[in-house]
Amino acid sequence: MGWGLIRLYAIAVYGFMFLPVLVVVLLSFNANQFGSFPMTGFSLRWFEALWNNDAVMRAFRTSLILGLMTAVISTTLGILASLALVRYRVPGRNLITTALIAPILVPEVVLAVALLLFLNWLGIGKSFVLLLAGHVVFTLPFVILVVQARLVSIRRDVEEAALSLGASPVQTFFAVTLPLLMPAVAAGALFAFTISFDDITGTLFWKPGGVETVPTQIFSMLRNSISPEINALGTVMIVMTVGLPLLGAGIARSLATKRGK
Amino acid sequence: MDNSTRYDRLLERYRNGDLNRRTFLGLIGAAGAAYGLQTPFARQARAQSVSQVRFDGWGGVVSEAFRQHAFDPYTAATGINVVDGTFSGGDEYLAQVRSSQEGEYNIAHLSGVFDYARYVNFGLTVELNTANIPNMELVMDALTAAYRRVTPEYLSAVPYNYGTTGLAYNRKYISDEEMKEKGASILIDEAYKGKIGGWSDWRTRIWYGALQTGQDPNAIADMEAVWDAIRSHRDLALKYWGSGAELMSLLAEEEIYVTEGWSGRIAAMQAEGHDIGYYDPPNGFGWQECLFVIKGSPVEACEELLNFMLAPETSIAVAEGQMYPPALDGTKVDLGATIPTLPAYDPTGTLDALTFADPAYWNGNEAEWSETFSRVQRGF
Amino acid sequence: MSIERREARQPWILLSPALGAVALLLFVPLMFIVVYSFWLRSATGADTVGFHLDNWQKALSDPFYRYILLNTLKIAAITTLLCALLGYPAAYFIARSKGNKMILLLLLMLPFWISYIIRTMSWINILGASGAVNTALMSLGVISSPIQMLYNEAAVILGLIHFLLPFMVLNVYVSLEGIDTNLEDAATSLGATRWQSFLQVTLPLSLPGLAAGGLLCFVLGAGTYITPLVLGGPRDAMFANLVFEAIITQLNWPLGSALSLLLLAVLGALVAIYNRYLGMAQLAKGLG
Repeated sequence: MGWGLIRLYAIAVYGFMFLPVLVVVLLSFNANQFGSFPMTGFSLRWFEALWNNDAVMRAFRTSLILGLMTAVISTTLGILASLALVRYRVPGRNLITTALIAPILVPEVVLAVALLLFLNWLGIGKSFVLLLAGHVVFTLPFVILVVQARLVSIRRDVEEAALSLGASPVQTFFAVTLPLLMPAVAAGALFAFTISFDDITGTLFWKPGGVETVPTQIFSMLRNSISPEINALGTVMIVMTVGLPLLGAGIARSLATKRGK
Repeated sequence: MDNSTRYDRLLERYRNGDLNRRTFLGLIGAAGAAYGLQTPFARQARAQSVSQVRFDGWGGVVSEAFRQHAFDPYTAATGINVVDGTFSGGDEYLAQVRSSQEGEYNIAHLSGVFDYARYVNFGLTVELNTANIPNMELVMDALTAAYRRVTPEYLSAVPYNYGTTGLAYNRKYISDEEMKEKGASILIDEAYKGKIGGWSDWRTRIWYGALQTGQDPNAIADMEAVWDAIRSHRDLALKYWGSGAELMSLLAEEEIYVTEGWSGRIAAMQAEGHDIGYYDPPNGFGWQECLFVIKGSPVEACEELLNFMLAPETSIAVAEGQMYPPALDGTKVDLGATIPTLPAYDPTGTLDALTFADPAYWNGNEAEWSETFSRVQRGF
Repeated sequence: MSIERREARQPWILLSPALGAVALLLFVPLMFIVVYSFWLRSATGADTVGFHLDNWQKALSDPFYRYILLNTLKIAAITTLLCALLGYPAAYFIARSKGNKMILLLLLMLPFWISYIIRTMSWINILGASGAVNTALMSLGVISSPIQMLYNEAAVILGLIHFLLPFMVLNVYVSLEGIDTNLEDAATSLGATRWQSFLQVTLPLSLPGLAAGGLLCFVLGAGTYITPLVLGGPRDAMFANLVFEAIITQLNWPLGSALSLLLLAVLGALVAIYNRYLGMAQLAKGLG
């Protein structure tokens, strides 16, 4: 009985998370100009408009690239730092942990202005690299928290066994620790990508001229009512992120069953 | 091949096992580095000669109209590229400019006289040579005069469009007669408790507070009465909105029946068939927007671009996009059929019917009022 | 070089990229903010350079700031608690389900693909006067006029939960995933009920994840300013709104700097407490 209840609960939680998604997907097919209820008819016009809207598509590509690069860099830095903190006796460990988590403690608008003042003082202009660096710094805490929590629960003796069998620390890391760490790495990278993809405040301040991400593009569109093209973009994103893995899993499964026969 | 399809292909090959992890990550890094170097700014940082001018504005339809009618012809004529940035509000933008290096930002579509005076105070002006901007001849003198009062010796901006912040109301619930009779005080009418909205901007709140207490917004005698009016409005209001999108959604969804509204946004709703009325009460809040050239910019290149932007076909296309009348004088230029139907449009070219905020008065009180409003809003 | 020396150096090599990035892009810039907080704004024009305590005096003694700060902490605490209650069972479900866990996790992150603003504004379409819920209830005849659900503190908390719940679930999931299910089975076979074995074995072992998730929710919740702007009424504000207003709207960078350092100090103190009592180091010892 317990499991059924938990499942029901989880479904309810997922339902809550999906409500806005559902609304956005529904409204992306709405013929109405303001993208609000009631639905005035089924239409694909916003998808067509989106396809033809260079600014939004360009912003989308920028966001995607920025998010992927942020995820790769900040996951790498995060794993290295977590290893050091959990696997070694580092003096002042708590202080260092707090320092690494600090970027999410500072209100983003302050971080944004502070970084700009600093760069201005150094005489460095804005660039895509700066934007990327900013994103890495404030996604790092998420990765570190998630990876550390996992690393703590990976038993030392497994690694020590590998070491005692003659593996080098690097070999041990790749053969033993990393596979065990994989769920946390995936979760951390997912976090980093998602947060970078969705960030407004920092991006608004750090982006160089002519570079827009999806959120900054939307933010500037708010003055003249957001076009339902944005809903269409959300729908496309969801179809991509849900559809592709599902499709992949489905194909893998059908291949496996065929081979099984 | 563009970057995203390149990624998809890489990702696919990686998933299929054609690429090992190291190669995959290496390629992502390389593509990213290439992208970083491609950014327009990187190019600008290297070459200091005028190869590009940056314009920051509201994006969307406005930006498309500028691109088609001003930027592309300008680039064809001069070889100078226009980099188009967007901002979400004048306040954020000023913070960005203040924390940037000279020359990084060039031309901005700013909220008229307040911002003009603020930029003057921060020493961010240039001196434009209006002889290089022949289309200035077509602009209404009344609009330019406002900037001349701030900087009598020179101009650092050209006027571009104007509008009003008047009263928008749902005609299903509020009749035109009731609106005219009550005027600004309808926003503190107990009868509409929970169905009232308002802009979160402190200037607008104080301006309407002055109207509700029967005072001249440009010479408020009893400030305490104004704060009290703002407090009553705060308690009756459902929501302070912060953007045109929010304003329109609140009215369209019938969350609120009455609020202040930007003339252009309400016109857009009316054009979509929503039964929303718009009324400028006596002494209603008029404002103008300008194209400001920021200190450190290549002034001559900017002057030339401003001339393209002020050209009638650009002005009209932008105006039809955002539904605010252009700064051009209707008695000197044929503005077409649509412009004269826009709210707040003044066919006389004098703008006598609109009341503008006195920048010296308002900016002088800005520090105190904006902070007090922040407290009053939260119940202090 | 001796092995011990190398041993002692290794963690610093591992830490240096992350620490370097944070130091260069956060701590050094923060020094500028610290310096700025002692300057004074002038009504117009450039700020007055110097060493003045006015901003700090104001930030620390003004009841207005204290009230908003306490309210912010209250909202963040409620949000965190609700996220834990909602998120733990969901994370447990994902960790113990037979299906594809990666897809379940991806699904949870799905709302993030829709931009934050759009996502937050879509609650207006759900809970608003002519939103889905009110329309459904009215057509069923349950109510005759729309219920006002938006633009109050509860709506702000709802928006925050929707934003923060995935952070909680992911953190709890990660630590649940690391627990050997045999432990639970062993406890059950020794006569414990499933509930007992959960309470005695699984829950304590998953505390690091719960604590990490809780910390994230609290800190991110306390630092939000957009959610109250979109879903709150005129009075609803969190501390970050005041920081944003001081810096952006009022152009009072010195005061804004002092306010943000105050928020940073309060949140930093919470993290210090977390590290002291629930921190990774502490838990690592417990598990070791």
